[in-house]
Amino acid sequence: MARRSRTVIEDEGTELNMTPMLDVVFILLIFFIVTSVFVKTPGLEPIEPEATTDVEWNPTILVAVDSASNIWIDKRPYEIEEIRPILTALRDETPKANAIIQADRDADVGTVMGVQELFQDLGVTTLVGTE
Amino acid sequence: MRRNRRRGNDDEADVDMTPMLDIVFIMLIFFIVTAVFLDETGIDLTQPPPPPEDTPPPPNQPPAITVYVDENSQCSVDGVSSTCNGVLARIERQLADKPGASVILRFHPNAKHNVLVQLKDGVDGRGMQSKIEVIEGAA
Repeated sequence: MARRSRTVIEDEGTELNMTPMLDVVFILLIFFIVTSVFVKTPGLEPIEPEATTDVEWNPTILVAVDSASNIWIDKRPYEIEEIRPILTALRDETPKANAIIQADRDADVGTVMGVQELFQDLGVTTLVGTE
Repeated sequence: MRRNRRRGNDDEADVDMTPMLDIVFIMLIFFIVTAVFLDETGIDLTQPPPPPEDTPPPPNQPPAITVYVDENSQCSVDGVSSTCNGVLARIERQLADKPGASVILRFHPNAKHNVLVQLKDGVDGRGMQSKIEVIEGAA
């Protein structure tokens, strides 16, 4: 008699009700699937200039320009002459892409505006990042 | 007999969820790790395309105030050198003489990006028309 009742209690202890936890896990999973954006980050975060007239921007293409005016795309540095095919490939992956140029405060105006001109040529809407 | 059938139904309802749960957790962790939360702000520095060569310039072109920033990020307004922080005040003074003037911001390619954003932001914030040019030679 005593033995049987003990085993029943143990059985109840191992069978937890997992349904509420599963609900939460599924909701989390769906949230992360929906919000995930597979963007190629440049791999560095330059100190951008400050501005008061800036706007919120959700880019899908990120290009960074560091203080020595190297152009970083997907964690690799490039020169301005060699990025046109790379930007074209990125544009073709997501045709409705928006871009941002994250330029350091000490970057050269010529490099930043050159990258922006390339994006304009390719028909990609581009903003220049601010803090 | 009846009891047997009921037990069979119970077995069907009790599917082993463990492998599915393993996969769900792995997916969850994958999406948490790869999630990038972008919080970006930016300003628009794009310029309108230049008019075609053969169109004549409009006759009553408003006067322009030219700001030049050289390769050492030294600023000048209409040829008079100035500190970069004082450029906006100087433009406002010039605007009293030339009402309705537009602002041309000329930059040497090696000028610092910070100066460009600072000037463009200031000019935009005051509601003035401005145009950015990047040129090699001095103005």
